[in-house]
Amino acid sequence: MSGLEALLAALTPLNLLLALAGVVAGAAIGAIPGLTATMAVAVLVPFTFGMPPAPALILMGAIYTGAIYGGAYSAILLNTPGTPSAIATTLDGYPMARRGDGDLAMTLACLASVVGGLIGALALLTLAPPLSRVALAFGPVEYFWLAIFGLSLISALSEGSLLKGLAGGAFGLLVSCIGVAEVSADVRLTFGSQTLVGGINVVAALIGMFCIPVLIDLVATPGRHLNVVAEPRGFRLAEAVRVLIQKKFNLIRSSVVGTVVGILPGAGGSVAGIVAYSEARRTARPGEQYGKGEPGGIIASESANNATVGGGFIPTLVLGIPGTPPDAVILGALLVQGLRTGPSLFTDHGDIVYTFIWGLLIATILMLPIGLLLGRYAYKSIITLPKALLVPSVAFMTMIGTYAIRNSVSDVVIMIVLGVIGWVLGRFGFAAAPIVLGLILGPIAEQGFVQAWTIGSAQGDLAGMFFGRPISMAIIAFTIFSLASPILMRRWKLKAEAAHVE
Amino acid sequence: MSNDSGTTPASDAGAAIVAALLVIFGAAAVWDTYSYFDFDSAVFPRTVAAVLILLALGVLVRWLFQRAGYVSVSPAEAAENGGSWPRRIALVIVMLAAALAMPWLGFLITAIISFGVLLVIAMHDPWTPGRIVVYPIVGLAIVVGFYFLFAKLLMVPLPAGRWFV
Repeated sequence: MSGLEALLAALTPLNLLLALAGVVAGAAIGAIPGLTATMAVAVLVPFTFGMPPAPALILMGAIYTGAIYGGAYSAILLNTPGTPSAIATTLDGYPMARRGDGDLAMTLACLASVVGGLIGALALLTLAPPLSRVALAFGPVEYFWLAIFGLSLISALSEGSLLKGLAGGAFGLLVSCIGVAEVSADVRLTFGSQTLVGGINVVAALIGMFCIPVLIDLVATPGRHLNVVAEPRGFRLAEAVRVLIQKKFNLIRSSVVGTVVGILPGAGGSVAGIVAYSEARRTARPGEQYGKGEPGGIIASESANNATVGGGFIPTLVLGIPGTPPDAVILGALLVQGLRTGPSLFTDHGDIVYTFIWGLLIATILMLPIGLLLGRYAYKSIITLPKALLVPSVAFMTMIGTYAIRNSVSDVVIMIVLGVIGWVLGRFGFAAAPIVLGLILGPIAEQGFVQAWTIGSAQGDLAGMFFGRPISMAIIAFTIFSLASPILMRRWKLKAEAAHVE
Repeated sequence: MSNDSGTTPASDAGAAIVAALLVIFGAAAVWDTYSYFDFDSAVFPRTVAAVLILLALGVLVRWLFQRAGYVSVSPAEAAENGGSWPRRIALVIVMLAAALAMPWLGFLITAIISFGVLLVIAMHDPWTPGRIVVYPIVGLAIVVGFYFLFAKLLMVPLPAGRWFV
């Protein structure tokens, strides 16, 4: 089947309708804190069992990409990432909304998500087989160093004190160890509590650490939740497009980062968003204030997390290794459909695969009008809802969303307690982002470390295992650069200022 | 506390207390790792706990040697530092109580009661007759709407309540 035939097959009314419905359902589910993209796909996947493979894949892809985008709504309007992929979106999205630029932030998130999604899907269309080799080149030790590299990004995420940021990251890593150990099933750090045996769910922790502090401060004061400009300004589309063009390098770089991180199994949109955000922050121009409502932060995070959709499908379809958690669910659905993933999928079932990829591209484009409309509606709802109704509504959504993750009341209690801890820590300069980063990267780091340690010990060459592989060395170099660059930049800046004064 | 010029003392005593608590948590974690059967389970948390202790000690040392001064505080930050403490505490207590009551009273009843109480806690404006009628109706619609979305559409098994089953 030629590319044109696949495109025409994707453009049938049924496929267009499924793409539209998938994006709407995905965005709505992704916007609710606690309901992740994985859950959105998992909940809606049974509807695809009776469908032919190509429409089924298009529906799942549309739900997935819609849900990843939908996470930005609550991240911007409530400081609560709707999905873990939107963690970095909160850092500048919420400050923008608070100062009265919520409408611009929502439009920017939509545009960046569409561009990121398109770049990821185009990579899937054109470069899938060669790029999938990247996933195979990563062993346990590379994942360990990747997690350490992710932790080094704390230097970019820390507001004020790097020391506090690093301590917060270490606290998050330790909290990620609570519960039954994955490697050897020891019960760790529960101190006799049955509530903690199930461990700390990352999504519950995210909701608690980001949303509960906002609620605690929201209930205490009579003022408005978000500043609102009196005159209506519509979507502010032209302004958003202008910002996007100004920050085109950030947009493209973040989309490429998202695609590559999506290819790496287990990393996912949250890591992609944070890596792209920290890179945008590191290369900020004078006057750009990341963490205080800088549009570039939203562009980086949203383009990167939506690019992971296409990137994640590369190892899923070519190797049968899911790139991201929702890909694992889609992989299961593919097997139900009777499709065997692997290098031969593109030749044996090229008609289905290319129709799906075109369908994903169309769904991503459809996200533009749908996203703008839904975003506008969500923004209006939040700014018009009186605080007396907003506080209990958000509290209720956090509770039901957290419960739904594992059908566990313990998760709800943990979410609230972590929220209070996050609020206290936040008051004394320990930001939530590094703690959550530690929580997300903890399991990746531990699994990689223990596996690499075991293999290295068996080979009698621990140093070679950890420091002797080319990809590991490259990641270590990036890590050192990431940690050192803020200090070096500060020194250069001081020197330049001193020279200017002289 | 802010003064008139919008500045506040830069002493980081609160951060020092948090750092001390992190040292205690790290030490407790190290102690806990010695009860594990498998060394593989212990090596990662023990290493991380040691790093946490060192970093938290670093925060403490910096606090001990820091110079006193003043930092500027924006009006928004000042407003957040103030506000009603009873409302803050009530919010947390109601949410925790709702979570703990959920298995006994069931999700729907717990949600309706807690929504109502939180509505009263978050109400800063005067109660007009219109608000008395409209707000509970809107609240009920939100709770019931989300209940049906999760329980019926997404098939999440929400607690029915041990006292009613």
